[in-house]
Amino acid sequence: MEALVQRLAPPPAHVDPDEYSLGGDGEGNLNALGVVRGMQVPRVPDPAAFLSTYTNSMSQNPQAKIKLEHGTTTLAFRFRGGIIVSVDSRATAGSYIASGTVKKVIEINKYLLGTMAGGAADCQYWETYLGMRCRMHELRNKERISVAAASKILANIVYEYKGQGLSMGTMICGWDKTGPQIFYVDSEGTRLKGNVFAVGSGATFAYGVLDQGYSWDLSDEDAQELGRRAIVAAGHRDAYSGNTNNLFHVREDGWEFLGNKDISELWYKYEQEKKDARATAGAGAGTGAQGENAARPTTEVQPVPMEE
Amino acid sequence: MNGGSVVAMIGKDCVAIASDLRLGSQAVGLASNFEKVFPVNDKLFIGLSGLATDTYTLRESLRFRVNMYRMKEEREITPETFTHLVSSTLYEKRFGPYFIEPVVAGLPDATPLNPNPKPFISTMDTIGCITTPKDFAVAGTATDKLYGVAEGLWEPDLEPEDLFETISQTILNAMDRDALSGWGAVVHVISKDKVVTRYLRGRMD
Amino acid sequence: MSRFNPYEENGGSILAIAGQDFSVIAGDTRQSLNYSIQTRYAQKVFPLTSSAVLAVNGFAADGKNFVKRVKQRLERRMFPFYVYNILAGIEEDGTGAVYSFDPVGSYEREACRGAGAAQSLLQPFLDNQIYFKNQTLAPGAEPFVPGRLPLSTVLSLVVDAFSSATERHIEVGDGLEMYVVMAPGRSADDLTAEEAQQAKEWPSELTVEEMESLGDEQEEGKAFRVFRLSRPLKRD
Repeated sequence: MEALVQRLAPPPAHVDPDEYSLGGDGEGNLNALGVVRGMQVPRVPDPAAFLSTYTNSMSQNPQAKIKLEHGTTTLAFRFRGGIIVSVDSRATAGSYIASGTVKKVIEINKYLLGTMAGGAADCQYWETYLGMRCRMHELRNKERISVAAASKILANIVYEYKGQGLSMGTMICGWDKTGPQIFYVDSEGTRLKGNVFAVGSGATFAYGVLDQGYSWDLSDEDAQELGRRAIVAAGHRDAYSGNTNNLFHVREDGWEFLGNKDISELWYKYEQEKKDARATAGAGAGTGAQGENAARPTTEVQPVPMEE
Repeated sequence: MNGGSVVAMIGKDCVAIASDLRLGSQAVGLASNFEKVFPVNDKLFIGLSGLATDTYTLRESLRFRVNMYRMKEEREITPETFTHLVSSTLYEKRFGPYFIEPVVAGLPDATPLNPNPKPFISTMDTIGCITTPKDFAVAGTATDKLYGVAEGLWEPDLEPEDLFETISQTILNAMDRDALSGWGAVVHVISKDKVVTRYLRGRMD
Repeated sequence: MSRFNPYEENGGSILAIAGQDFSVIAGDTRQSLNYSIQTRYAQKVFPLTSSAVLAVNGFAADGKNFVKRVKQRLERRMFPFYVYNILAGIEEDGTGAVYSFDPVGSYEREACRGAGAAQSLLQPFLDNQIYFKNQTLAPGAEPFVPGRLPLSTVLSLVVDAFSSATERHIEVGDGLEMYVVMAPGRSADDLTAEEAQQAKEWPSELTVEEMESLGDEQEEGKAFRVFRLSRPLKRD
């Protein structure tokens, strides 16, 4: 079964310029290893225009027949204790929620994580391929690849295909000799190093929470909680994000998966906590400036009945 | 634009009508207390899903017309008549329509002419073309999802409590597959002697 | 100026549900273009191997071609096949499995999935009935576990789902074709026995036939079994 699934979703095949020829004596368009040489590109003057007409990968063209999955919130931030990677799990096609169980964190290897925004297949495909390239680097150089180098391999690949309709916004997160590192890479060719990133339609909401609570000196627990809360905030406000939260923590000895939680349930939990906090704050003091019923000068305006 | 959905169902001597509570602006959710179902009288409700501003405009203009009807006729409007009133109100704006698909649900009073009235639901397109289904009516951004679930769950002659369960499961499960509907729901079950209104805890994402 | 359009939308829907030691995969048999029915019997569900069945939906020509080419490797990101696929079968550990794919090959294992023209009608119903979404556990009741429903329940849910979709979607109807894949050693009595077929839950007008195995070197008693079930749907 698994083998068949793998066959239906073909293994990454991309011409690695460093790779000496693997032999080209295969059948038809297959090489000796049974891997397809290059990609099928439609024979039209402008392949990108073709793709954007018939898929929604580049344009927001609602007539586009082939719906690739869009709408996401993903985030990653770097702090004293490593990296927190937190994502939602919703995939939408128009207003239809096509899936609520998407894995948007791609486990490239034990030390590297990639996030998924934009085209699901593009991210899955190229980050799996990146995993192969990283392993090749390890075998050649007898040491793990740096996050900078790994992200640059990906950035270079997507840049080769620039304008051809790839759609991805990803964060390559890992721990190397230099410590925890995050690189943002997208299909436009952008590659940025940074401490805090959020990507996707719900990113603004996530940034709101992250910027408010972020500090380099966060404890592990607080950092994980911040990651969760930012995704819950985005899942709540953004129609195209939601369902469940997947949380990862990257440390020196590799990444750890911290669980899958229902965003809606978390939201209700946080609301209850807010209510409880308000209740205790309100009960304690009549003078304090906290709480909903804080002493605040108000003028009551009587509503004027309509008949008058 | 603002999102939202409404569904109505017929039961045994009862009808139910439900809406979600989300008010959005494109992808951003703005409010989770935006009810789209309004009472017309004791046993008649209307759901107005579509553009939020038109929901309110149409509600007010219908309120005016129903009050005028009540004063002139000195009786309550029947669901059938009200449906036609809504239809004409919509058709008045034939070339610049309200962006609303209304759903009407009501339980007519027994009269000498019609001693055994049947539960009534109806729905219209944006310019007032009426359909009066015998099972259920849906409208809004989750229309196709509502059809799918309702068609699978609904059966004839449901008692009020079973009708409540059916309409609730229908709207909750349909909403959970629609990005633009959700954030809780409200259900009204109208039976002969009472209306039961319940708020459903829904997904908040 | 009208541009060359290599894609057509041929309607129809497919659906698959995984059980503990079986999986069911189904499709309607209508093929349409706009408001015209091209044929009332077009196969959408294809047995691939002895333990896996593939359902293909979208552009029928691409679908046919895709099934042909599955035996080879594929690489079509820049010129996608306009097809949505669901694969159902038995995993190496003997459990029923459903994998769903998007047109460029990203995939996910699930307990159930509906796809095609009526996916938005089928899926929320399945969420409710297969994943027990929005259902609250009665006090003291067994917790819900998706993917553990008995075969008879799954079959009637598939029939109900397609009857509903037929009722409300113009592109779905004519016939329903289902394949049931069973893990090696599993009894097929709940499908073939007279008793099972007389049960109240058993869908009406359902015919069952066992398929010849596609694997050649399967030992007796360790073989997967594949059944083809069919039933008419409304033709209007």
